[in-house]
Amino acid sequence: MSTIPTRTPRRTPSRTPTRRLEPGRVGDPATRHDGVPKVTGEFAYSSDLHAAGMLWGKTVRSPHAHARVVEIDTSEARRLPGVHAVLTHEDVPGQKNYGLEFADQPVLASDRVRYFGEAVALVAAEEPEQARRAAAAVRVVYEPLEPVTEMERALEQEPLHPDRPTMSHGYRDDPRPNVVRTMVIRHGDPEAEGEVSVAGVYEIGIQDQAFLGPESGLAVPDGEGGVDVYVATQWLHVDRDQVAPCLGLPPEMVRIHLSGVGGAFGGREDLSMQIHGALLALRTGRPVKIVYNRQESFVGHIHRHPARIWCEHRATRAGKLVNVRIRILLDGGAYASSSTAVTSNAASFALGPYAVENALIESTCVYTNNPPCGAMRGFGAVQTCFAGEAQLDKLATKLGIDPVELRLLNALAPGDRLPTGQQIEGSLPVAEVIRCAAALPLPQAESLPREAIRLPGGAGNTTRGEGVQRGIGFAVGFKNICYSEGFDDSTAARVILRADGSAEINCAAAEVGQGVSDVILQVARTELGTDDVVLAPPETASVASAGSASASRMTWMAAGAVQLACRAALEERKRAGGDEVDVERIYRHARTTPLDPETGQITGDRAHVAFAVAAMRVVVEVDVELGLTRVVWIGTAQDVGKAVNPLAVAGQIEGGTAQGLGLALMEEIQTRDGLITNASFTDYLIPTTLDMPPVESVLVEDPEPGAPYGAKGVGEPPTVVSTAAIVSALRDATGRELARVPVRPDDIVGL
Amino acid sequence: MQLVRPSSVEEAVAALRGGAVALGGGTDLVPLLRDRIVEAETLVELHAAVPRGVRRCTPTSTSPSPSSARFWIGAGTPLAVLEAEPEIPTTLREACRLAASPQLRAMGTIGGNLLQATRCWYWRLKFPCWLHGGETCDAKEGQHREHAIFGNERCASAHPSDPAAALLALGARIRTDRRDLPLAELYRLPTDDDRSMTTLEPGELILELELPAAESSIYVKAMDRQRWAFALVGVAAARVGGETRIALAGVAPVPWLVSSPEELEQATPLPGTAYKLEIARALVQRALAQL
Ligand SMILES: Cc1cc2nc3c(=O)[nH]c(=O)nc-3n(C[C@H](O)[C@H](O)[C@H](O)COP(=O)(O)OP(=O)(O)OC[C@H]3O[C@@H](n4cnc5c(N)ncnc54)[C@H](O)[C@@H]3O)c2cc1C
Ligand code: SF4
Repeated sequence: MSTIPTRTPRRTPSRTPTRRLEPGRVGDPATRHDGVPKVTGEFAYSSDLHAAGMLWGKTVRSPHAHARVVEIDTSEARRLPGVHAVLTHEDVPGQKNYGLEFADQPVLASDRVRYFGEAVALVAAEEPEQARRAAAAVRVVYEPLEPVTEMERALEQEPLHPDRPTMSHGYRDDPRPNVVRTMVIRHGDPEAEGEVSVAGVYEIGIQDQAFLGPESGLAVPDGEGGVDVYVATQWLHVDRDQVAPCLGLPPEMVRIHLSGVGGAFGGREDLSMQIHGALLALRTGRPVKIVYNRQESFVGHIHRHPARIWCEHRATRAGKLVNVRIRILLDGGAYASSSTAVTSNAASFALGPYAVENALIESTCVYTNNPPCGAMRGFGAVQTCFAGEAQLDKLATKLGIDPVELRLLNALAPGDRLPTGQQIEGSLPVAEVIRCAAALPLPQAESLPREAIRLPGGAGNTTRGEGVQRGIGFAVGFKNICYSEGFDDSTAARVILRADGSAEINCAAAEVGQGVSDVILQVARTELGTDDVVLAPPETASVASAGSASASRMTWMAAGAVQLACRAALEERKRAGGDEVDVERIYRHARTTPLDPETGQITGDRAHVAFAVAAMRVVVEVDVELGLTRVVWIGTAQDVGKAVNPLAVAGQIEGGTAQGLGLALMEEIQTRDGLITNASFTDYLIPTTLDMPPVESVLVEDPEPGAPYGAKGVGEPPTVVSTAAIVSALRDATGRELARVPVRPDDIVGL
Repeated sequence: MQLVRPSSVEEAVAALRGGAVALGGGTDLVPLLRDRIVEAETLVELHAAVPRGVRRCTPTSTSPSPSSARFWIGAGTPLAVLEAEPEIPTTLREACRLAASPQLRAMGTIGGNLLQATRCWYWRLKFPCWLHGGETCDAKEGQHREHAIFGNERCASAHPSDPAAALLALGARIRTDRRDLPLAELYRLPTDDDRSMTTLEPGELILELELPAAESSIYVKAMDRQRWAFALVGVAAARVGGETRIALAGVAPVPWLVSSPEELEQATPLPGTAYKLEIARALVQRALAQL
């Protein structure tokens, strides 16, 4: 095992040497090839797309969270200048519903809308303003219905999906209305008593991915009945497989091309404009571009599930966990998206990376008329980490044990079993990661007076030291890597190796800003022993599926596929006497199987492929009279297997930490009867550079046996752990329970 | 929609007859037009009509303050100019510096800032609330942590302007195309009969501001993040001619003067805004301690 310390100085650009753009190999701190164009504004995002003769599409959306659609009248909209098409559900030639895992969402609503902003009709016009006016002129008569907005009440209210689309997929049959999925994990003796116990109820608000590049894309008809869609997405082939049936086309007639992605974080796993743009393009015979505005973006994608979590941790007086009982309630919003998997993930990682003999974990996700929720960085583990780590702090306080010691005492290790019965086979250096994070020296308390920006309240100049308390927090985050529970996926890579030694790589892995295209190039250069490698633009026609850029899986899977294909290409070329070869290989991870619907126990060797852990130590200052906070410093250690690119890993850690900081301190979608009320960056605040402290990170390298080069994914653990760690520090500073995130001034000074 | 660009005050005032809307930097108005909250056939761009700039001036006859040094500020002056103006009272300079973002301050004028609409999202989402002519205040029934602790009997919105609080604390006056008045008289709490928040007549233009130099002044602002956010509570305090005045942003439907720290105890917080009173108490003490 080895560790790599990385340190990112704060706002001292002169100390960061300018790196030359060098074609890195595996393990090198390579500079990202799209970094400079992104910073200089030359990078083309999907919203920059343009095609000759292009029309502009616009989506007519529901102003109600729940309503019956009585009538849709498009006649006036059709008569407006510049309008080429106005489409409703009647114009969807194929399957009327779609969905990432369950086709429960209408392409265009027909008789009922279930959330604020649901798509009801489409228009295409010559100019964006004409499209906007035409959309406004589509007359939709709604009969508003009582919205289902409270998670707990949803379980008794009239079902939003009477046909129960997610049931009978091997999940536990739950007869209550509006259940998306219920999971129960029974482990050991769920009634086992401890000598002490702590309990708490925790709440997590709705977080948005808040990516800066709104949903956008361009659909281009090919003149032969097919269509090319250029779009910012996370998984090209699954988009194709959802789009084609709705268009009534075979998959090969729909080609999805990745276009510049301005952030994703799970929010682009579900479709946005893909089917809509394609419908309009095929109808008008013209390229159609759709770009969401900011408000539309907020309502047009799924969010992180808000949650309420009840916990009881029972332990011995010495601090050994005996039994953990957790009930999780998640609000999935109007459609299933990936809620079933989030439900299970929340349950599977609810205990954290701790060895516990007995547990009873129940996790339920409900349909409501709130904004739909699905994948977001951390995928269920963020919510339970916040609750579980708060519980461990409570237990540490109750027992008078150091919180780090308590965690070490219970740390999970390879060979141990998870509550699902799965044995940890690969690497999982929990204790090592905890020790590394705890060993990072805390920054010295800064003296007064100091600049306002270095005090809680920041630029607002609200204190010169009055009311300021320092707090130190610690937390450990735990999550799986790769897809799970039998949803096994694969990644294909195709390598064209030329006689002159140069190579072209085709892989449909979505570069969403995480740096996977650099990973692919680094692997290809390493395997082929040449720097003369190019990566073809990702699209569905030239290579098989890469699976999703999610579940912290893309580096592992893409590296695996590219490594496999490169090695095969070298051999083929040898066999071909040095001539050009073109080979495609498909990489798969170890097979997983579903969890038992009644007991939550594994039904094969594993339900999850691998695991990663991150520990974080945080220093905050809180002005306890004003409730204003400042995160002073973050030190973290993360289990990365092997850092394919340490610079990129440090970037993921900082970015992921910032996203967790946002949830800890400010980010929350607000709703009123299901309507999003703060769908703008004026009202939905995300952290700025001034809110982010310096992050010191240690990369713990304990290679994962089953993974290429031993590399684990690194994108999610920082987000999982940082919310919990920051709030732990806030509790230390304020003495308050702070059982809900985001924690805002009202929670600190309020009654 | 039509855009007219008058080059004098007279032309601008004439153009504003008949329901046209004045356009300053457009940072507040344009989004409202886009969301169809403000409807206008004609926009009157003030850029070349309303004065801009800052100078020292001699007191006008109506100035009540005995303080000798005074400042004249054109209503068309962007906040970005004021935040960089070393001579003007600290409270105003700081309030401008802490408002919005650099891009918005480059465009946004001080006149427009004083007249910016409420940020209440129910209002911005066109809920048929009291301020839109309806019966009830939706904020009071729903989420309202950003809302008011004073003057919230009908509408509980919180006035978002930082500079307005600073100018109130300084006892600034404004001159319009038809009158001269203390800034405090620009604002009014809306009533059932008249729900407007200012005393401006239709088409009335703010042209200039006049304010005294302060012996000492300060602006401090509690926000939801380190910078670039509206005030949860903004506190302006100024000592002018030996007299200390305090004004608050973000606590009432209009910028709010408090004659003494004790007056904070007359606040009428909502369940979700009680914390603002705690902040206001501490922040007023701290601001006064620094004067
Ligand atoms: C994201 C965001 C954040 C912000 N944060 C803050 C903040 O933290 N603090 C703060 O104080 N402000 C903040 N603001 C408000 C910003 O400062 C104002 O939008 C700006 O100052 C308005 O000036 P303007 O010239 O652009 O006004 P406009 O948008 O042009 O006009 C605003 C209103 O004033 C009227 N008007 C303009 N000039 C005159 C005049 N001379 N006479 C009569 N009527 C006139 C217009 O008709 C309109 O009704 C923020 C705004 C945004 C969009
Ligand atoms: S606070 Fe004012 S603007 Fe907001 S909902 Fe209430 S009445 Fe309307």
